[in-house]
Amino acid sequence: MFSDNIQIKRNFLGKATIILESKSIKDAIVKLIKKDNNLGISAITGIDLDKTIGLLYHLRTSEGIITLKTEVQKNKPVISSITDIIPGANFHEREAADLFGVIFKDHPNLKRLVLPESWPKDLYPLRKDANLADISTKCNAISYKTDESPSQKGNLVNIIVGPQHPALLEPEKFSLKVDGEIVKYVEPRIGYVHRGVEKAAEKKTYLQDVFLVERICGICNSCHAIAFVASVEKILGTQVPDRGKYIRTIILELNRLHSHLLLLGHAGLEIGYEALFQYLWRDREPIMDLTEMLTGNRVIASSITIGGVRRDIKENHIPLIKKQMAHLQERMIFYKNLFENEPSIKLRTKNVGVLSAKEAIKLSVVGPVARASGVPIDVRKDDPYSAYEEIPFKLVTRKDGDSYSRLMVRLDELIESAKIIDYAVDNLPNGPYRIKVPRIVVVGEALTRVEAPRGALLYYVKSNGSAYPERVKVRTPTFSNIPAFQKTAIGGNIADVPANFVSLDPCFSCTDR
Amino acid sequence: MNSITTWARTKSPWVIHFNSGACNGCDIEVIALLTPRFDVERFGIKLAPSPRHADVLLTTGVVTTQCAQRLKKIYDQMPEPKFVIAIGACACSGGVFKGNYSVEGGVDKIIPVNMYIPGCPPKPEAIIDGVVKLLNSLKEA
Repeated sequence: MFSDNIQIKRNFLGKATIILESKSIKDAIVKLIKKDNNLGISAITGIDLDKTIGLLYHLRTSEGIITLKTEVQKNKPVISSITDIIPGANFHEREAADLFGVIFKDHPNLKRLVLPESWPKDLYPLRKDANLADISTKCNAISYKTDESPSQKGNLVNIIVGPQHPALLEPEKFSLKVDGEIVKYVEPRIGYVHRGVEKAAEKKTYLQDVFLVERICGICNSCHAIAFVASVEKILGTQVPDRGKYIRTIILELNRLHSHLLLLGHAGLEIGYEALFQYLWRDREPIMDLTEMLTGNRVIASSITIGGVRRDIKENHIPLIKKQMAHLQERMIFYKNLFENEPSIKLRTKNVGVLSAKEAIKLSVVGPVARASGVPIDVRKDDPYSAYEEIPFKLVTRKDGDSYSRLMVRLDELIESAKIIDYAVDNLPNGPYRIKVPRIVVVGEALTRVEAPRGALLYYVKSNGSAYPERVKVRTPTFSNIPAFQKTAIGGNIADVPANFVSLDPCFSCTDR
Repeated sequence: MNSITTWARTKSPWVIHFNSGACNGCDIEVIALLTPRFDVERFGIKLAPSPRHADVLLTTGVVTTQCAQRLKKIYDQMPEPKFVIAIGACACSGGVFKGNYSVEGGVDKIIPVNMYIPGCPPKPEAIIDGVVKLLNSLKEA
C-alpha cells in the first residue's frame, strides 16, 4: 500500500489511480501499452514523503489520464527506466533525477538537465530536507568544464548554438553534430532559465501562487493560472459561476490568439521573410489592446483567480471585442492565402522536419505539433474545462507532419479561436463572475490538464491542509515537444534547423521553470 | 570632435538583448518595440547581432545561477562606452523569483546598470521613455 503520512480525502488524478510497487511499474506500463496503442507519458511527478520519495507516472491514454503511484526509499532511490518502451519519458526521468535524486536504471543519458553544471552533488533541491542556504556561493565555487568550443572528430563537426544567439530569444544551448550539411546528432541543454518555481510555490500561499505561476511564462500566462486555479478548485470542490467560466474562456483564447500570431511572425523571421513578421505583429497589437482592456495589463493578465475572475466584462466592451474578432478573421483569410500561395514559405517549410503520427505518439508529443501529424488530441475536447464543453469549435488536424503543417494548424486555430470568443461574447451568462473561497485548502491532491497555445499543460497540486501547498508540479508543453525536435532534425539539412525548430513553438521559460 | 561622437552615439544606439532568466513577458515587449506600432528605429535604435557591435545591453529577467557568467561575458565583450538597461521588475530587483535557490537576483548584482525600467512587464511606451531618457542623459554629459 501507498504509505502516506497524510490521509488523502479527495483524489483527482485523472480517470484511475493505481498503486504499485516500484519494481512492477515497468511491467504495468508494458501491459497498458499492449491494451492501448495511443499510450504516452504525460509527466513523472516526484514528491518528498519524508522517508520515501513518491513517484507518480501520469500516463496519457485514449480515455484520459491514468496515474501510477509508487515510492522508492530515500537513501536508495533506484527504479528502472521506461525510456526503452516510451522514448518520450527521457526528459521526465532526467528531471526527476536532477531534482529528487532518483536513479533510473538503464537510462541512456542520465545527465544534468535543469540544474547548473556547477550544482553540488547529492543536493536535490525539491527534497524537503535540502539545505539550500548560500547555494549560489557554493555553486560559483565549483569549477566545471563545458564543451563550448567547436571541435571536430572525423567528419563530424560540432556546432554550438547559444546560450546567447541572435536567432534565439531565450538562452538555451544546442550542440549540433554535422557531417557536411547533414545533421547527425542534436543535444539540447536546457535549464538556463530555471528559477526554481516549484520550490518557491511551496513557500507561498495559494493566492500568491496564482501570481507566481503566471510568471513562469509571459506568453501563456493565463493558461498557467487556469491550470493551477482549476487544481485548487478541484480540491476545494468549488463551483465557478457560469459567467466566470465564460470570461475565463475569452481570456484564455485571447492568450492563444496572441501566442499563435507571435509564433507565426517569429517563423517568418526565421525563414527569412521579415515583412511577414512585421505584418503579423502589427495584427497582434489589437489583441494586446483587448487583453489590456479586459484585464488591465497587456501581457501578464493576472485575471484568473481562485473562484472565478478578478474583473467583469462590461457592456461597452462587447461591440469592441466583436469588431476586432471580425477584423482578425478577415486578416487570417489573407494570411491563409499568403501561406498557401507564397513559394518562399513553402520552399522553406514543406517536407522539413517530418514527424509521423506513430512517432508523435511514441514521443508523447502534444498540442499543435501532434495535431499537425494527424493525432487528434486537444484537451479542450478530451477533458473540457472552463466553458469549452458548451462552446462548439472544430478540432484542427493536418496529415503531413512537416513544418508547414505545423504552421498551418496554428493559422486554422486562430480562426477557430476568434469564433470561440465570438460565441462566448454572444452567449455570456448573467450573474456573478467570482465567488469567495476559503483561504485554507483541505487535504487532497489534484491533477489538471489544460490546452495552452503550445499543447497540453499539466499541473499537479497537493495540499496538506495548511495555507501553503505541499507540492506543485508543472509539466509544460515544450518539455514534451523537445524530443520531437531531436528526432526530426537528425538527417535533415543544417539550414532547415531554424525552420524546423521554430515550427514547434519552443518556449524555454516554460520548460525550465 | 566630441560633439560629433555624442551626436553619432545618440542617433544610432545599437542594442543587444539578453534574456538572463525572464518569463518572456518582457522579451515580447522588447520585440514589440521593433514592430510597426512602436517602431523604435525612429530613434536609430537597431538590434545588433553580436555584443561586439552593441552600445546598449537590454537585459530582461532575473539572473539565474547558470546565466550569471554568460551575462558577465556578454557585458565584457561589448566595446566602451557601454550602457545597460534593466527591463522589468525581475531585472531590477529579482521580482517574484527573489530568494529562489537557482537565482542570483537583479542584474545589478552581476554588472553595473545605467537605467532601471520597472513593471511586470513594462509597457513598450515605458521602455521607449527609458531609452530616450538614457539618450538625453548622454547628450547632457
